[in-house]
Order: sequence, then structure tokens, then C-alpha cells
Amino acid sequence: MSSPDSIAQTPFIDPTPLPSDIPPVDEVGATSAPLKSAAFFIGAYCKEFNEDFMLCKNENNDPAHCLKEGRKVTRCATDIIRKLREHCEKEFETHWRCLDDRNQEYFRCRPLEREFNTCVWNSLKLEKVIPGTPQGQEPIHLKTKPVFKAS
Amino acid sequence: MPIPFEALIPFGFVTAMFGVTGTLLHAVKTYKNDGKNPRYGLTQWDRQMMERDKRLTGSFRGQTSNPVAPPEFAYNSSLYQSLQPR
Repeated sequence: MSSPDSIAQTPFIDPTPLPSDIPPVDEVGATSAPLKSAAFFIGAYCKEFNEDFMLCKNENNDPAHCLKEGRKVTRCATDIIRKLREHCEKEFETHWRCLDDRNQEYFRCRPLEREFNTCVWNSLKLEKVIPGTPQGQEPIHLKTKPVFKAS
Repeated sequence: MPIPFEALIPFGFVTAMFGVTGTLLHAVKTYKNDGKNPRYGLTQWDRQMMERDKRLTGSFRGQTSNPVAPPEFAYNSSLYQSLQPR
């Protein structure tokens, strides 16, 4: 149980490649902070592909069932990250660096988020919308005087 | 009446000791987190994302915004870390 060769100590990594009849797709290379920063824009841009994938997974949770929809999701996410870096690179980078330094909490980086959102709106016409906001309630990212502010 | 300054010397010691140990702890935590503030309140989602970050970049808190991952990323995921429950 304590030697490094025993099965309980080492992580199990399987390097066998996929079968050759599955078209290869490059994985998304962004880590957690840039993904969190771009999350709502990925949602706005890739809405149909994401919903297809989720509905497909809802039918059958087997990994082999939803490979095609998954490839579309991956390609769409890669595409939007490429577009964000092309058009709004500076604002994107400052926002995700700020998030990374502050426990990846959105409320602590609102000014930079506002700049990033205006840049994306001007260049890519994508808007951050929080799904499930009740009608008539101001979305938390647009509040001018929030209760929980960055300290 | 003059201030009894000898009585304030232990206060000075205690403050200095708290300060030194606190500073050293902050320095060690920052060093461990690649120069960033430590993360707290981690959920299972955060832990899984941080493990993915480590696989992508090689360092514990490294971040990158490349659109595509390096080719070895597709094959270095571990199916389980160990048999102990997470």
C-alpha cells in the first residue's frame, strides 16, 4: 500500500490514441482564468453547439455517443478564444490576470470586466447576459453601487 | 509621571514576533503559488480545473490563453489519481 509501484499510489494515465476513424480535433488550450473571463462570450457565441451537446448527453451519458457534438463544441470554443485574442487582446489579458490573482471571483475585478465587455461589444457584438436573471432586476455585473465590492 | 517604557518592551517583542511569522508565512504561500495570492474556498470544480491547468502548463498556478492545446495534452489525463476517494 505504501510503495510507489502499488496501484493505489500512482495516477493511471492511458496514452493510447483514439481510433483513426474519429477525426482529430485540437483541444482547447486555455486554462481556468482565461476561460472564466471569456465564459459568457463563449456561451453567447457557441449557444447552439453547447445546447446540442447538452441535450445529446442528456439522452445517453456514454462518452462515445456524443463525440460529434463534442467536436463541434471544441472547435467553436477554440474559434471564439482566437477571435477574443485577435480583437481585444489587452483587455482580455488584464481581466484574466486580475481574476487569477483574486481567487477567480468576478466581483473583485468589475472595472476591468467593464472595459473588456465594451471592447467585445464594439468588435464582436457579443454581450454578457446572465441567464436566469429575474425580469426587472438589474444584473449584478451592471450594478453601479453593489453591496459586495472588491476590497 | 514618566511612561514605564520597560513594560512596553514585551509588547514590542510580541508585535515583532507576530509580524515576522506572518510575513514569512505570506512569503512561503506566495512562493508556492508562483507569485500569486493563494486560492481559497476551493470546490471540486475548482480543484478539477486546477488539475487541468497543471496538465496544460506544467506548473501549479500557471495560466495560458492559447486557443489550442499542445499535442501531448490529449493523452496525459489521469483516469484516477489513486484508489482513495476524492
